[in-house]
Amino acid sequence: MRPTAPALVLLPAFALLPVLIVVLNGAHGGGAEILGSFVVGAVSPSMDPALLKALLIGLQVTIATALTGWSCSLVLGVLLGCLSSERLWLTWSLPVWPAIVLRRLMALPRSVHELIWGLLLLQVLGLHPWVAVMAISIPYSCLIARVWRDQLQSLDPSRLQAMLQTGSSPMAACMTALSPAMGSVLVSYGGYRLECALRSATLLGVFGLGGLGMDLELSLKSLQFHELWTGLWLLTLVTIALEQGLRCWRSWGQQAQFGQRQVMGFAVAVVLSAGLGGVWLAHLFPDAGSLIWLPLQWPDFSSLRLAAEELPWISMLWDTLILTVLAAGIAIGLPPLLLLLTPAPLWQRCISGFWVLVRVIPPPLAVLLLLLSNQPTLAIGALALGLHNSGVMGRLLQEGLQQQDNSAQVALTSSGASSQMGWLYGLLSPRSPSHLAYGAYRSDVILRETVVVGLIGGSGLGWQLLESLSSFHWAAVLLLITTYAVLTLIGEWLSDQSRQHWLQS
Amino acid sequence: MTALLELDEVRVAGPHGDRLNAVSLRLQNGERIALLGRSGAGKSSLIGVFNGSLLPAAGHVRFQGEALASLSRRQRARIGTLWQDLRLIEELSIGQNVNAGALGRRRLPWALANLLFRIDAEASRSCLRQAGLEESLLADTGLDRPVGQLSGGQRQRVALARLFRQQPDLMLADEPLASLDPAIAAEVLERLLTPESDGTLRSGAQAVVVSLHRPELIDRFDRVLGLRAGRLVIDTPASTVSANDLRDLYAP
Repeated sequence: MRPTAPALVLLPAFALLPVLIVVLNGAHGGGAEILGSFVVGAVSPSMDPALLKALLIGLQVTIATALTGWSCSLVLGVLLGCLSSERLWLTWSLPVWPAIVLRRLMALPRSVHELIWGLLLLQVLGLHPWVAVMAISIPYSCLIARVWRDQLQSLDPSRLQAMLQTGSSPMAACMTALSPAMGSVLVSYGGYRLECALRSATLLGVFGLGGLGMDLELSLKSLQFHELWTGLWLLTLVTIALEQGLRCWRSWGQQAQFGQRQVMGFAVAVVLSAGLGGVWLAHLFPDAGSLIWLPLQWPDFSSLRLAAEELPWISMLWDTLILTVLAAGIAIGLPPLLLLLTPAPLWQRCISGFWVLVRVIPPPLAVLLLLLSNQPTLAIGALALGLHNSGVMGRLLQEGLQQQDNSAQVALTSSGASSQMGWLYGLLSPRSPSHLAYGAYRSDVILRETVVVGLIGGSGLGWQLLESLSSFHWAAVLLLITTYAVLTLIGEWLSDQSRQHWLQS
Repeated sequence: MTALLELDEVRVAGPHGDRLNAVSLRLQNGERIALLGRSGAGKSSLIGVFNGSLLPAAGHVRFQGEALASLSRRQRARIGTLWQDLRLIEELSIGQNVNAGALGRRRLPWALANLLFRIDAEASRSCLRQAGLEESLLADTGLDRPVGQLSGGQRQRVALARLFRQQPDLMLADEPLASLDPAIAAEVLERLLTPESDGTLRSGAQAVVVSLHRPELIDRFDRVLGLRAGRLVIDTPASTVSANDLRDLYAP
């Protein structure tokens, strides 16, 4: 049996089977009423003025945190990405070893999820608005640097060589030959990172680092679903506004000079956002004061050895891997499965709305919601993580399909194929390799995010990490973070290999 | 008299043997040189040695009496190349690509301004006119058009205009006529080779080297260089090249 592209895209959806079986088996009757209240709350959110005022303040904190963290990480990320590019060092006729060393050094901060950074920084800096900003900036800048560097390395070097041959300085040659192509990377990837920053800022709030996330968590735990949905709808509106704004910005600038001005405008906006975001945060937290570094006790070798013996490594790693595989299967397979049901435009629009909703709800909140009516199991975490990431993949898949040439689909339906089969063979099939390639990348992200649901769901590395942080067991914290970083880097390597395989197929 | 460009026993190594072996020659001001040879003979490698993009494993290369490897970038700007694959910046406009030829003479703020605004439009237009681009593309809106939207012949002329904009002393053209129809190919050659009455070239260069796959065009040149398996086998005035010489050069 040799499944081909569209089948390979749908096969991962089989992960839903065991997950749904376990979730439905673990459901208890008492939860049905609560879930019903949750659903009703969606259509009747609270419009209490005091609540709205409080939520708007929370939303401002989230947006300011996201904006500041994003802009700082983008500036730093582009700089680090340039410094870690061997090509640029060679253009200046310099040795390349600093680029290699820098790239290796950035692997560790990149591999640790921003939530873990937030919890660690909380321990050393205390409760301060800039903790969340730093928690986002540190891993994001290293992620951006990696993408920036990879893009620089992948560009055709002949254009740069041609500019250098005219006698141009290395800086002018790089600006002329490389910046037009890198500019589009800055706008598209930078915009994507802003959406991620908004989700991260919300998530950090769920764990006590300020903003709308805190309000959502409190509403959920106190079963105030009308209030919860007010916050979720606000977040949804901001997310949609951001997506539309970025889409408009990307489509502006058809002519070459306007395209370069668009990029320059975006770069200026990024730099200004760092300042504006900082001022905004200072305004929202006038009593925050400066950051104070709290003393941290580093573990010695004997405590590390003891912690290593105590931790249940096999079950932790097994839980983490199972969680990743199931969640990735749902994230990759669910979007095409839902789109396959019918290509009707109304259904497509409903699905788009569904993607927005599952993207907006942070996985820990989804886990908390499911726990109201379910036993705590790995399946809960997998479902929450899988649904959230299916929202990201689903949106990208839908956008890609809309831009796809549909002549093959038309040919098939006109020869008698059903609309579903015409869609599957004629539209999804050519899109499949890129969907699977992105799925490989997304699986790497899911592996990083397992720690997030683990913190709530009581399983895997995340749960152990939270336990260790709560009891100031620094030896275990160090071992767990190191293990988590190594797992993430292995996952990154695997996802790179499979992504290259799908893109070359 | 100091030669414009001088090669002395130059050898360029390659993964499957030497690309060039013991090549010695001198280029003088005013010369229009055709570079002939079969595919893989070493024509592009010789062009690479001329413009310094390929470093020889042995031998010396001197430009206007100075070692090519030690030239500053401003001095290197006196050697201009029309690349076989053109190497235009697809995302930039016609005007921006032509202006890129002047990067060796301009400073960084100018380079940045070129990316954001339409600057030195008249200079670009003059070079494009010299390269033979149609008038409709010389209006302001034409200059702003991305080169990615142009036909092959139009892109060739934009690349040629960029070369003119650079104002080099030595112009090198690596198979500029490949994929051009005969009418456009003849026009491109004319733009490169037409002399002035004082012995210089209308293009502004002091000498030009063009690699070709069309021996029937050598009558437009002063001198012919022929490469075979990396060795210089023909170095003679164009008027003295015989049919036998060409047959030996292109024999399998």
